[in-house]
Amino acid sequence: MALIKLNDLEIEVEDGTNIVEAAREHGIEVPHYCYHPGLTRPANCRMCLVEPYGPIPGAPPGTIGPARQLATGCTTTVRTAPPERKLEDKYDAIVQTDSPRVKKAREDVLEFLLVHHPLDCPVCDQAGECDLQDYSYRHGHDKSRYIEIKNVPPKKDLGPDVLLYSTRCVVCTRCIRFAEEVSGTGELGLVHRGSHDEIDIPRSHEGTPIQLLDNKLAGNVVDICPVGALISKDFLFKSRPWFMEKANSVCSGCSVGCNITVEYKADGVYRLKPRFHEDINQHWMCDDGRLGYHYVNSDDRLQLPLKRVDDALTPTHWADALTVIQEQLSEVEAEDIVVIGSAQATNEDNYVLQQFAHDVLQTTQLGLFGQLPGEEHKFPQFTIEADKNPNTAGARTILGAANGNVVLEGDALWEKVSGAKVVYLVSGAPERPLGDAEKAALERVEFLIVQDILPSEVTQLADMVLPGTTFAEKDGTFTNSTGWVQRIRKTIDPPGEARVDWEITQQLANQLGGEMNYRFAGEISLAIAENVQGYADATHQNIRDAGIKLAE
Amino acid sequence: MVEERRILYEHLDVPDINTFDVFRQYDGYTRFEKAIAEYQPEEIAQMVLDSGLKGRGGAGFSTGEKWSFVPRDIEPRYLCCNADESEPGTFSNRYVLEKNPHLLIEGILICCYAMGIETTYVYIRGEFTLGKKMLDAAIKEAYEKGYLGKDVRGTGLNIDIYTHPGAGAYICGEETGLIESLEGKRGQPRNKPPFPAVQGVFMKPTVVQNVETLCNLPFIVGNGVEWYTEMGPTYADTRFDPPKPDANTGTKLYCISGDVNEPGVYELDLGLTCTELIEVAGGLRGEEVKAVIPGGSSAPILTHYELDTRLDFTSLTLAKSMLGSGGIIVMNETRNIVDCLLNIMKFYAHESCGQCTPCRWGTPWVRDIVQRIADGNGRKDTITRPKFGVAENGRWGDTGETEEIYEDLDLLESVANNIANVDTMTWNTICVFGIAVSWPAVSYMRKFRPEFEAAIREGKLVTLPVAEATVPPEENYAYQQRFIPKEFADL
Repeated sequence: MALIKLNDLEIEVEDGTNIVEAAREHGIEVPHYCYHPGLTRPANCRMCLVEPYGPIPGAPPGTIGPARQLATGCTTTVRTAPPERKLEDKYDAIVQTDSPRVKKAREDVLEFLLVHHPLDCPVCDQAGECDLQDYSYRHGHDKSRYIEIKNVPPKKDLGPDVLLYSTRCVVCTRCIRFAEEVSGTGELGLVHRGSHDEIDIPRSHEGTPIQLLDNKLAGNVVDICPVGALISKDFLFKSRPWFMEKANSVCSGCSVGCNITVEYKADGVYRLKPRFHEDINQHWMCDDGRLGYHYVNSDDRLQLPLKRVDDALTPTHWADALTVIQEQLSEVEAEDIVVIGSAQATNEDNYVLQQFAHDVLQTTQLGLFGQLPGEEHKFPQFTIEADKNPNTAGARTILGAANGNVVLEGDALWEKVSGAKVVYLVSGAPERPLGDAEKAALERVEFLIVQDILPSEVTQLADMVLPGTTFAEKDGTFTNSTGWVQRIRKTIDPPGEARVDWEITQQLANQLGGEMNYRFAGEISLAIAENVQGYADATHQNIRDAGIKLAE
Repeated sequence: MVEERRILYEHLDVPDINTFDVFRQYDGYTRFEKAIAEYQPEEIAQMVLDSGLKGRGGAGFSTGEKWSFVPRDIEPRYLCCNADESEPGTFSNRYVLEKNPHLLIEGILICCYAMGIETTYVYIRGEFTLGKKMLDAAIKEAYEKGYLGKDVRGTGLNIDIYTHPGAGAYICGEETGLIESLEGKRGQPRNKPPFPAVQGVFMKPTVVQNVETLCNLPFIVGNGVEWYTEMGPTYADTRFDPPKPDANTGTKLYCISGDVNEPGVYELDLGLTCTELIEVAGGLRGEEVKAVIPGGSSAPILTHYELDTRLDFTSLTLAKSMLGSGGIIVMNETRNIVDCLLNIMKFYAHESCGQCTPCRWGTPWVRDIVQRIADGNGRKDTITRPKFGVAENGRWGDTGETEEIYEDLDLLESVANNIANVDTMTWNTICVFGIAVSWPAVSYMRKFRPEFEAAIREGKLVTLPVAEATVPPEENYAYQQRFIPKEFADL
């Protein structure tokens, strides 16, 4: 640990910490553009200049003063100094981040940054979460002295989801470094020189793109762009950032379990952004997850229970639907019932489901359903996993918790299904295609109950469809492939009459004579902690935003 | 009358000196052989330190001192020869490359021997096609004669030289920009520290030396330190107790251009005055000297009041300017300083690499302001504001006088100083390109302010008579010494 004096604060930081991070940890802002903790540090924006102190050359020993040159806070790291090089006998470094010189330097750099900037905040998507805007307010001049002609480089379409408004670019090169270091695809570079520097993708002489910015991590460049230069086409002109609510959640796109922030308004989810987690996704998330939220807002969402009447699914009300299911379930023997949980559902959903199967239906035939595996994509600093379900690990453990860890999957499951009379299937994977064998098995079922979020191949075969909820509409936990249990949080209300999955199961259980009385997801997590091996610490109170890693 | 003292250029005009055999007749490679036979590598390094040789590329940093920073326990180490001579007004290296390339190779050999270096890269300016051709041919010959390659002349040394052409960027003459370019990246300077001596080419310790510096080495080794230190003045830096010798030894290749009768490269002892130099170059073309740029376009300008300034590293630093690369441009009374500054600023705005913010957007801004003044669009509504002071009634207030404010000149000075502050010698940029921009901008404007004011007032370029155009030294702090006290005396 190094002891540093930062302005008037005396703080201890890890060796190797840079000044920007050391200051941030203690609530002092050192403005910066090019520095990003997940990338290398070129120190080209010159915004994070700080004033280090050191011995004055030629002065008597022990005299210290400000260094002649300001130093960039991002590249200036502090280390424990040997005793003879301590400053004022105890400090490893003395740094001022708010001296007049530093303030002047910031003002000057900001003035330069705004010289060619179009100042189009009113129509810029970044306004409200823009570092240029924020720092200008906090550290900048109140007016511009620039009266010359501004550079107007062209707007560029870089890839499927990324637009570049070159005029707003501050050439911090975060995006270039991201494409080189994290995604390793290197589509981006600088063209021209000096004040005509532009970020661009490789192009032929005629200007036709040779390589688009279309890697699966491309969306991250929009997040790391400190200004409004790189803009997501998906979010373009949709909403002002300050109108959106934010909730910390977990991406449901694959089993990596990237930490995300869901940004939403009352009428739906607007965008997903990655949230830092050191061990899982660092600062990043993939575009599949980022853009994969649209089904939440879909007009086709199941909003009412559907009952098969004369070969057609017709809307009905909950009381009717549950009564019909109750009748069907009470007519058959336990061994004729198969209950299938979902790798898309939360641990809480699956726990209530398995409790329902064991305690009420008295069946041990529990299966697991979910998305088919996709492709794995490996990048230098990021991996998109093949398993497209967020909670396969959790579902397996929890569905099998009271069952000797036997969960039916694959052929074994469909064999059981084809011999069953009533099947209660929780899906949550609307896009999943059904194989011929799977389809045949489901068709043979006398009464198929499907709990899903969108019309799918499974709901077409169902005799009763119950509208469930997506990750954005409920509380709960997901367990990722590396054993991290993490929270998802309710953001918007479910559409129409759709209900949270465990609530549907619980009501059904209670109608069939069960005695379940969970009032909120956190309560279920307490039950999970008590009854499921390895989950003893995984209560909502303990998990918080960082998640909890299960013991190996 | 001062005479040229030709050392580096002594045999430059000998026919076929670029071939090994002819070079050999004129003591070629004997100095290298002497170095190997008589001295240990450390002794050579000590000789270079004792000789007081300062880097001829521009910064004027002591070569021996630079070598002492190179860690000798990290392998491999590299030598990088900077032949990207791109400072406007400088053209001495190309003659060495084109006419006497073996001298450079010999210098490289001595440096490699002294520093235990096996690989040398010579980064040649892209425009020097002939120079590269000649050097390549010379290198080929040296390989054939066994002076390069494996086991040089049976000494067990392995020395290789690779030449690498630049692609025409000024910034690739900056040592770290050069290294980046050499590594195949975009030529953008690196943050320092670490300096190239510690992490240079391929992040290994690297000695970066100018062609002229390396060409001095054979003569230091061949003729001895004493012979070398006799040339040029050595001052005493009285900031130290006892005074530290501040050597400006050796000869310098001065590239004299502009309004002189015989422009060209002259090899002269360091420490001659401007006036003497102009004389050497055939005298002034025109009536009187208006200004002299002493060290390439990035050096602050000298006025006719400063013609007695000695052209060496220390004296010019004390005069708030620099010797730089020795590109001396003389201007007579017909030159318009605003126009000169515009020319220089156009160059710098075009050559800024665009890596860091102040330089990327500051240099074109400075250019635009100067352009506006030169076009006659300098803000004409020079603001007059009341001058505060003790008024007639004896009380503090408006004195009734007005003060003319040339907004654009203040803006020019402020913007240039925001890139790099010439008064405190601090810069917010990554490399010293920033100061290379603001130095001329601020010094031209401060020393020739009447001409700038006239351009704004008249709405067109006005060339004033020299006496009127120049601000006298006692009136302008631009002349004042920077941060070194003027207690330097001849030893």
